[in-house]
Amino acid sequence: MIKHIVKRILIAIPVLICVILVIFVMLRILPGNPAETMAGEHVSQAVIDKISREMGLDEPLYIQFFKYLANAVRGDFGTSYRLNRNVTGIILEAFPNTVKLSICAAVIAWVIGITAGLVAAINQNRILDRLFMGVSLAGVSMPVFMIALVLQYLFAFQFKIFPVSGYDSLACMVLPAISLGWNSAGSIARMTRSNLVEVMQGDYIRTARAKGLRESGVIIGHALKNAMLPVVTMMALQISSMLSGAVLTESVFGIPGIGRLAVNAIETRDMPLLQGTVIFTTILVIIGNLVADILYSVLDPRIREVA
Amino acid sequence: MRKRFRLILAAAAAASLLLSGCGGSTSGDGSDAQTEQAGNAEGTESAGSTSSGTDTSGFLVVPLVADIQTADVHKTTKDYEIPLNIYDRLVDIEVKEDGSSEIVPSLAESWEISGDALTYTFHLRQGVKFHNGEELTADDVEYSFTRQLSVEGAVNTDFLAQIKGASQLLEGTADQLEGFETVDDYTFTITLSEPYAGFLACLSTPGCSIYNREATEAAGDQFGLDPSVTVGTGPFRLTDWTINDQLVLTRYEDYWKGPSELPGVVIRIVPDTETQRMMFESGELDVVDLDYLPDAVDDFTTRYPDQIVSGPRVGTTYFTMNQNIEPFQDVRVRKAVQMAIDRQAILDALYGGRGQVENGIYPHGLYGFNSSLPEITYDPEEAKALLAEAGYANGFEMQIAADSSASDATNQALEIIQAQLGEIGIQAEIQNMDESTWLATRNSGEMGSFMSTWTADYNDPDNFIYTFFGTPENTKLRSLNYSDTEVMERVQKARTIVDADERIAEYQALEEKIVTEDAAWVPMYSRTHSFAVSKRVQGFEVPWNGLSDCYFYGLSLSE
Amino acid sequence: MDKRKNRLRESTDAGAGAEMRQADRVYGAQAGGADGLQAGYADALEAEAIGEAETWKEQLKKLARQNKLAVFSAVLIGVILLIAVFAPVTAPYDPYAQDLVNRLAAPSAQHWLGTDDLGRDMASRIIYGARISMAIGLLPTMISMVIGTILGLIAGYYGGKVDFVIMRLADVMLAFPSLLLAMVIMYTMGGGLVNIFIALSLVNWAGTARIVRSQTLSLKEAEYVEAARSIGVKGRTILLRHILPNCLPSLIVLFTLNIPSAILSEASLSFLGVGAQPPSASWGLAVVRGKKYLFTEPWLSIAPCAAIMIVVLAFNFLGDGLRDVLDPYLKEQ
Repeated sequence: MIKHIVKRILIAIPVLICVILVIFVMLRILPGNPAETMAGEHVSQAVIDKISREMGLDEPLYIQFFKYLANAVRGDFGTSYRLNRNVTGIILEAFPNTVKLSICAAVIAWVIGITAGLVAAINQNRILDRLFMGVSLAGVSMPVFMIALVLQYLFAFQFKIFPVSGYDSLACMVLPAISLGWNSAGSIARMTRSNLVEVMQGDYIRTARAKGLRESGVIIGHALKNAMLPVVTMMALQISSMLSGAVLTESVFGIPGIGRLAVNAIETRDMPLLQGTVIFTTILVIIGNLVADILYSVLDPRIREVA
Repeated sequence: MRKRFRLILAAAAAASLLLSGCGGSTSGDGSDAQTEQAGNAEGTESAGSTSSGTDTSGFLVVPLVADIQTADVHKTTKDYEIPLNIYDRLVDIEVKEDGSSEIVPSLAESWEISGDALTYTFHLRQGVKFHNGEELTADDVEYSFTRQLSVEGAVNTDFLAQIKGASQLLEGTADQLEGFETVDDYTFTITLSEPYAGFLACLSTPGCSIYNREATEAAGDQFGLDPSVTVGTGPFRLTDWTINDQLVLTRYEDYWKGPSELPGVVIRIVPDTETQRMMFESGELDVVDLDYLPDAVDDFTTRYPDQIVSGPRVGTTYFTMNQNIEPFQDVRVRKAVQMAIDRQAILDALYGGRGQVENGIYPHGLYGFNSSLPEITYDPEEAKALLAEAGYANGFEMQIAADSSASDATNQALEIIQAQLGEIGIQAEIQNMDESTWLATRNSGEMGSFMSTWTADYNDPDNFIYTFFGTPENTKLRSLNYSDTEVMERVQKARTIVDADERIAEYQALEEKIVTEDAAWVPMYSRTHSFAVSKRVQGFEVPWNGLSDCYFYGLSLSE
Repeated sequence: MDKRKNRLRESTDAGAGAEMRQADRVYGAQAGGADGLQAGYADALEAEAIGEAETWKEQLKKLARQNKLAVFSAVLIGVILLIAVFAPVTAPYDPYAQDLVNRLAAPSAQHWLGTDDLGRDMASRIIYGARISMAIGLLPTMISMVIGTILGLIAGYYGGKVDFVIMRLADVMLAFPSLLLAMVIMYTMGGGLVNIFIALSLVNWAGTARIVRSQTLSLKEAEYVEAARSIGVKGRTILLRHILPNCLPSLIVLFTLNIPSAILSEASLSFLGVGAQPPSASWGLAVVRGKKYLFTEPWLSIAPCAAIMIVVLAFNFLGDGLRDVLDPYLKEQ
């Protein structure tokens, strides 16, 4: 068990270095000079050259990379071009907002997803199945930013139930969380449904039924528990898609989180910040996968045996 | 069947329990939020408390679409809203009733200019206090100007480039500004390397803000980033900055003109303009810049007729042609393009006709604007004839570069231009570039065509003509590659003409030569700049040059 | 149950993450029909291993019987594809022709979805947009699945260092939140349709590679494959003739379910300004451009958004339906 975990962690390290390398190289083959963006519109070439030198952009690429890697190991992702501050600090400041949003979204995804999956599985191929799956799939079928805009328009602007933007109260979080969570709910509902359908054909369910247990008892007592296993691990794996969705949701609702930072960085061609946010989110995803893996082996005795 | 039904009930109950658990905690907050935002466009009830420690109730709330880079104006040419309000300049621009503007005293109470127009003697206002309690002296001005030219990352250097010794400071061969001489604590002289009529106007730009030597030196590279060390003499202090969220300005009680009626300003960062619109309409914002919502202007004008404040934008939108690229070295081709673009139609379609078509370089409202310039007419037939005459009866292919960070309307205009050029047989391809690639390509002098707007930094034609047609370097930086060096020499010489009338006459002659005769660019239009302002805001005025950055000192809120 | 335990053990031994197991469960189907390939010794054994292999026809019949929604979705997709292919005939106007005087016109008999911000006929733009969205759905998904399948087959079959390198590469790709990675790629290469194809192809191959690899791993142990190996059949032949056909059912399901995410990615990229570029008629760009008029001319964003939703839902329903009939666990019933 511990050996398994250590092995997974060791594998994660070269992956991480490759991630850094990929992003670093990708951003360096761009045309154009970041110094120019930094200087802006009303500036002469001499000034731009001076800024380039100050930023160390005249050094060879591989030296820039090793310098970057060495600093990254120490938790230093450089200085943002645009915001003139330490990237790590900026990210850590934005991180709690993304976490808050993601947790609220996860709760919503669970509630909608599992309920819909449950109801759909029980009524497989009937109207209720279609209805519940339809609602949860609608969230997967619309662009996240459009859901966000429509929700904002209806519930914040027209009916004035929630604030249009903001992030410092729970009320502010409801709409962003729904826009983000609805999206994941679809996948969770699908998984819950297909797992339940599968599990309910298992021998022990038939046995339980034969013993005369009530159907609801069978499902909640036996089937759900078993069907939930992959769904639980899926939550950890949802980190990746949550972070992707947060990029859009945060932009619409004006939440100063990591996704916003990434979009900002792209808009202003802030290489250190973009690099920092992508690497940071990737670390989160890797940790999430690790947790999912460990969780899975803890929860599923079959894996424990093997490992 | 019955069993199944019961099960659904169980599931629904479980779900509703979960939901109500969630809803229960939110509904309390929700109702708070509701009362907080009960006001609609009538007025923002309260900015409420925020994540910061500052109590911002009663503050004006305004949006920005993107966070600022720094509040250190020596290092930015984009973000002027904070510097405008937390620092002062030596002189200010004041617009009079008739629309003309003049330079008025600010930190400098008075000044004299020597007969040869080379030496300026300034007398500082006495008793002006910085936010840290230090009194303003001539030494602070010397420090500010020296730093503006030499600090790492300095970008606002052009405004002071005419001062004697400025270039040595820029190049790093000197560490003092030769042309600056301190007479006493409140008196100093500035000597120029050659006469330059636009100099005082340059000093009025936000770029030439005055810092405090002691505070700025102590702050080091945190100046402009850490609110607590960012010190000026302006009517507001920067008290809080949460990245991508908001900036807070708080009234400076000891302001030399007397404290502002406004207790403070919350500047919210709201990148999505539809969100800005909804926030304004539900009372979460006091001011929105309708530049970002060009299609909402008509709707807003109908629904909030007395809440729209408009002013001219002293800025020319222009479309370029690169004379290094085939076939734009032929003046007939350039004239054909000028005639093929229906500028009024674009202005009408995209901006509801709010603005004026321009025919030269200097826009309406600028000192030196010439209303009697020959009009460029929309005439696709004549344009076709000109193309045929130049040997391009079947048209040609060209590239138009679009800056993806520019406003939607600008890029829509390019699509219209593309279609209009198609009418006379020119196949234009729009290339989309991100801001920095766009800038880099343009600065390399190799960009095809593009469209952009130049808004006045200071009220003088020099600010326009010199930027585009002043030197071979400048004309290359805009990918115009205008080739007439004789004209460019005249543009440089015009800067030193001391007699005002003579200078303007020369500028107008040059303008006519460049645009009407040489067709070096297509002047498009200057647009009206409108803001929607909530009812509780009093005294809002559009900035004189039509920039988006506002000066909050004269505003107040009625409750 | 035995079969499943076996698969789980293999994937864990191989050190692939839980995602793979996950994907395995979601899309897992290791035995399918391979009509017309059942010849020779190995193939006979294979047929035996699968049991009563259903033919494609039977499976599709079952689908038609069981799941009307999936069938309806398939028909709908077909109709949309036809409309898209014959856009010059089906669209009432030139989708690029501007009419500045008639911009933002409300839906009417002439323009039944109104006109957009440059006076172009919205209905025609959505019809032409279907070409782009369908292409974005199909092409990059196909490319990324081909890449993923090849790499997955190689990794699973040959194992060892090759496997390690390919799977770590897949780990790297899967570690990036896909939208962020696509954003960075688009940002590096610039916007535009061709670049969207490239970005989406590069981003999404890793998931396929993992699933194919895990299936290859378990199929490799199957008797008929071992038999083929023992009589000296070449690796490539085994992969192409015996393993790949057995991966096909899950690949088809995966393909159907990956298309919607590609279509949505295009919309998201366009929203962020790094996707399709004007004057393209892409649906994503239309939604983004239309959202400015959500207050006053809501049809401009709702129409393309509805188009996206319909297509995405149709592919999802079809994919779910296909999985239901192709999934071996459900088939056991």
